[in-house]
Amino acid sequence: MFVFDEGDLNNEQVAAIREPNNVFLVACPGSGKTRTLTYKIAYELSKIDDIKKWVVAITYTHRAADEIRERIEILGLDTSHLWIGTIHAFCLEWILKPYGLYHDKLKNGFKIVNSYDSEKIISQICSSFTESIRYFECSHYYNPRGLILSCAGSNVSLAKQVIDKYHNQLEDNNQIDFEQILYFSYEILSSNSFVARILANLFSYILIDEYQDTKEIQYSIVASMIKASQSRLKTFIVGDPNQAIYGSLGGYAITQQEFEQIAGVSFTTMALDKNYRSSRKIIDYYLNYNVFKSENTAEGLYKNHPSLITYDQIIHKDNLVDKVSEYIEHNTQKIGISESEICVIAPWWMHLAALTRSLVNRLPDYSFDGPGLVPFSRDIDNFWFKLTQIILTEPSPNLYVKRLRWASDILYDMELALVDTHAMTSKQLLKIVNSIKIYENDGLTYLRLFFEQIFSELKLDYALYPMLKEHYESFFNSTLNRMDRLRQEDASFATNVEAFRKAFKPRTGIKVSTIHGVKGGEYDVVISFGLLQGLVPNFNDSSVDSAKRLLYVIGSRARKNLHLISETGRMTGYVGNQRERQPTEILNQLNFAYDQNLM
Amino acid sequence: MHITKLSLINYRNFKNVKLLFNKGINTVIGENGSGKTNLFRAMRLLLDNSMPRSATKLTEGDFCRALDTWRGHWIIISIEFDDIASDESSQSLFLHGAGNAEDEVVTRATYSLIFRPKANIRQELSQIPIGDSVALESYLKGITIDDYETVLTGKSSADYNDPAVYKKIVGDFDKVVFPKKLNNSDVGIRLPHILNVPNEVSFTFIKALRDVVSDFHSNRTNPLLTLLKRKAGDISQSEFQPIADLIKDLNNEIEGLSDICDVRDDIKTTISDTVGDAYSPDSISIRSSLTDESDQLFQSLKLFVAETDDGYEMAIHEMSLGGANLLFLTLKLLEFKYQRASQSIGNFLLIEEPEAHIHTHIQKSLFDNINYEDTQIIYSTHSSYISEVSNIESMNIIGVVDGLVEVFQPSVGLANEEVGFVQRYLDATRSNLLFARSVILVEGDAEEILIPILIKKSLGLSLDEIGISLINIRSTGFENIAILFDNQRIKKRCSIITDLDAAFFDISIYPTDSELDKKKKTKAIGSQQAGLARKSRLNGFSLNNPWVFPFYANHTFEVDFIQSLNSYYLINITTDVYTQQATIDIASNELSSSDIAISGSRALSMANYQGKGWFALTLGKVIDFKVVIPEYIFDAIKFAHGDFNRELKLKMLKHRYESVIEHIEFGRKTIERLVAEGNTILEQEWKVYLALYENGLAMFTPKWEAFDFIHGDIDVLKANLLNDLPCAQNDILLRI
Repeated sequence: MFVFDEGDLNNEQVAAIREPNNVFLVACPGSGKTRTLTYKIAYELSKIDDIKKWVVAITYTHRAADEIRERIEILGLDTSHLWIGTIHAFCLEWILKPYGLYHDKLKNGFKIVNSYDSEKIISQICSSFTESIRYFECSHYYNPRGLILSCAGSNVSLAKQVIDKYHNQLEDNNQIDFEQILYFSYEILSSNSFVARILANLFSYILIDEYQDTKEIQYSIVASMIKASQSRLKTFIVGDPNQAIYGSLGGYAITQQEFEQIAGVSFTTMALDKNYRSSRKIIDYYLNYNVFKSENTAEGLYKNHPSLITYDQIIHKDNLVDKVSEYIEHNTQKIGISESEICVIAPWWMHLAALTRSLVNRLPDYSFDGPGLVPFSRDIDNFWFKLTQIILTEPSPNLYVKRLRWASDILYDMELALVDTHAMTSKQLLKIVNSIKIYENDGLTYLRLFFEQIFSELKLDYALYPMLKEHYESFFNSTLNRMDRLRQEDASFATNVEAFRKAFKPRTGIKVSTIHGVKGGEYDVVISFGLLQGLVPNFNDSSVDSAKRLLYVIGSRARKNLHLISETGRMTGYVGNQRERQPTEILNQLNFAYDQNLM
Repeated sequence: MHITKLSLINYRNFKNVKLLFNKGINTVIGENGSGKTNLFRAMRLLLDNSMPRSATKLTEGDFCRALDTWRGHWIIISIEFDDIASDESSQSLFLHGAGNAEDEVVTRATYSLIFRPKANIRQELSQIPIGDSVALESYLKGITIDDYETVLTGKSSADYNDPAVYKKIVGDFDKVVFPKKLNNSDVGIRLPHILNVPNEVSFTFIKALRDVVSDFHSNRTNPLLTLLKRKAGDISQSEFQPIADLIKDLNNEIEGLSDICDVRDDIKTTISDTVGDAYSPDSISIRSSLTDESDQLFQSLKLFVAETDDGYEMAIHEMSLGGANLLFLTLKLLEFKYQRASQSIGNFLLIEEPEAHIHTHIQKSLFDNINYEDTQIIYSTHSSYISEVSNIESMNIIGVVDGLVEVFQPSVGLANEEVGFVQRYLDATRSNLLFARSVILVEGDAEEILIPILIKKSLGLSLDEIGISLINIRSTGFENIAILFDNQRIKKRCSIITDLDAAFFDISIYPTDSELDKKKKTKAIGSQQAGLARKSRLNGFSLNNPWVFPFYANHTFEVDFIQSLNSYYLINITTDVYTQQATIDIASNELSSSDIAISGSRALSMANYQGKGWFALTLGKVIDFKVVIPEYIFDAIKFAHGDFNRELKLKMLKHRYESVIEHIEFGRKTIERLVAEGNTILEQEWKVYLALYENGLAMFTPKWEAFDFIHGDIDVLKANLLNDLPCAQNDILLRI
């Protein structure tokens, strides 16, 4: 049995871990959610007494999965009976691969189309229509009842036509996209009851992280297994409904009652409400944006920190760089906060990319880690991107385990692409990559040559394997595309190998991120701009609650200081009919005694 | 859980076979070289965790030679399981990877090994224009075994034994059509990595016992060691510690022996004398290293067995072969029992020819007693003594049809009653009916005794040699047994030999006939009618069945025998049958009659007088190479065996040639005797008679000697023999 040191966890955390019943855990920001999840996994792993059982943990990102796995390994547990990954990876491994032959659209084999290609296909279909319809209007996902078009507005029927056409095109090509991975899994489970029964017998425990951003269809997938197990299979669900910001992508903060109903089991409600991250002042501030009532108490090192919370509604967007620089310089130079403890957040990637480039020029002595700086496509599900990741990282003892895992991911993908990987091991693959030397300075050419060399060592022609070929073209096309766009935006960026390599170096400098991208992060200082109606909340979900949740997430990232900006001069609408965007209403209306100046 | 079906496609000597198995005990019957070992190997590749992992990477030599070229073809070894307890979580992993969904509850699974061209090759094959056999041929030429991959799949729903399915999945090599899609869901899915079937099942293979003593000597194959090793881990510390302590003391005492100490001291002084103190090691000791590790210690344990009443226990190598074999088998069974006790989802025991070197009496009881619960036992055998051999419902017979190996299930399509009959028959008679390559069924002692003699004397061949089992079914009825041979069941040829019982004398009843004659004629009329009825029944029975054919003696064996110009032999044994000279003379006269009513009656009455069996034995004694095999008998042999190959023909010619030489020698000796006796008349007769043979032999011998056994035309040689030696009753050769 896994035992932990006293002091590793607080009483609430211990209680959640020891709870024998299903747990529905609401964890406030900074409450040690990941830590609790990690220990819970370790605890359940150590309880497995049957070598034919697995603990399954579903995380929101690959990165979170890797991180938790590493932490568990550090705790000294054997992770061979832990399956951890995203819901997509789960569905692929446990449902589509073994049971795909029971689905008409999968039984002849399938390739997974990556997000770049999927965007390209939909955009092309859109432009083939005489009516005006744009890519973002075709944003869609599935719930158990079928297809949901989340951003189509009044164009629903047109968007539906686009998506139908898109799906036909995928089907002709034996491809499925990420949304279909979930939907087809759901279909397989609902039309073949034995699948859930078999899987229920293989799992001893299922954990779901970040439930507030989980899609409704995922709950149905998990619930069908719980149901089939006749409530033997226990579940641990953790998240924070106040941080649910993926609504437009199908994120659905299910209530405990709802989940109990579909899974047919009862949950023990538990909460982690001790915030070890932020100062009392910050906590009190972000609690103004509570959608679900929660008590957060300040328990951390900085609980009594005299935080600065400022709000600027005057600065013009053209002078934004001055304001942000001012905050950065103040916090680093006056307060002595290190660069990596500062985060600049905005709702839209486009605005961030532009600001980052200005900041790079404005503050040449600082380094930044943000969008618009990596010159090649970062489609993390692309086979060749995964390979690039190994190629462009240096072999080192620190990275060995990670790179080995990447290598085994690559072998896994190759097998999916029907390559005979029987005689290959991840160690050999890593060895091959490490042994190759390419003397070429241009990043893309370097990668091309490197890929060729690897495959010639493997004695394989990737062009003969349709999935590898598709991903190859997609990887280079999307990279060229991205470079073109950067060039158009007149950004100066390097395309040599060194610049490519930097993309995989451990990040240093000031973090620049979208609100969605900052999920789970924490910083001493958070600077956020673009807090404007139509952006926060986004036009496709303009509810007050949506704005509240975004502000809640922004606010709760900060430990010490929080700087909010609703800049002026951002226009919206078509040329000739433009109007200026106004500050986010809920923010504007909040009656709060902001700090007036930085001193 | 048990195996219900094994399909082998293109694997070794199996082009396309299917074996069906039942719960419990199953037998596989087949002659040597029919591929029983290959069959077991195929199962082991999929199930035996003592097989090296690399074994599943097959080679060119694993492709069936019956394929024109292996290039492009697939090898498929597929096993189907049934009765999987789906609610048991221990079986879930297996179902996850291999379970076939057919119903709400999954109880069936398929698990296959497929050795096929890699995806890129399959892709390229699919791009060859349909029907372009030239392009196909030239593409196939470039394929090497490195272009092949082994995949283990589960959940296959394809019936690989159906050639149309094979064509659909693999491709049609004749029409040059290859599937466009790389995936065919009928093949199933790749087995998930987390499922390693050999680790999930308990599977023990006991190979044919050939050199048990050396198996006992090798650490790897010694079954005793395997058993002990299994136990070594379980030994309690408290029980073992005193032994370990004793060993430690023992080691100390050995090290303390004065002689040992002397040697150590001498080494010490020698070193310091040679290299000086400065360079000498600081200390030297001699240590006894009797191991106190339990598993190493156990290696020194050996089994001793008292085989005889005197209670002397001997080592394995001193035991009788049968005893050692029995011991080996027993230990392997115990190993299996231990293994079975550990958690596994299925228990399989494969035993290869358990009868080798084991006494037939033990064979009988062996499998009555090996009957573990939840265990499927499959064994191959040659022995008709193993009781399970009569259970035709759990049986697969490997046979060769038109040069291809096929597997038959003898009870397919039979009613329970019919199966029961055959089983009782096999049980009671222990006949080797199922082991033969072909069968001749007879229902009398005379045929059973004389047919092998006729063939041996006339052609120099034994029935075994030509793979024919002659089975005397006595009065059980031909159809009851012959029912086994059918397109659905055993595809081996079965000749039925029976009598038509046509009367061979005038059966018109006259008022003048004596009561005795009337009775005899009435009986003959009855027999004749019964014979006709039997004929129409048997003809109807074998109609449309290419594997069964009836052959009829016009009258009855003895009569047809004498009618085939064999009266000489019968005359020869009149003295054995009768004692009174008068009777002997009458009999000889009658036998010489050209009227079959007379000679036939005598032949029959001789046989009945002596008893048909004894009479046949008596007759067998005098039959020589000149005997004429009644036509229907030879027809039956030809049907059962098929055409005679070159080697057999040569053997027959050789036999007849040598028989002539022998015959001439015998004639010369007879003439010498006659000269000595002064019987000139008979001497003359003999000389004339023998001259025919001698002249013929003189003509034929050079041809025989010049004959090139490898390249020569056997039929020309045959024609020469017939031509040169017309006197030697060689007509039989016209029929081979």
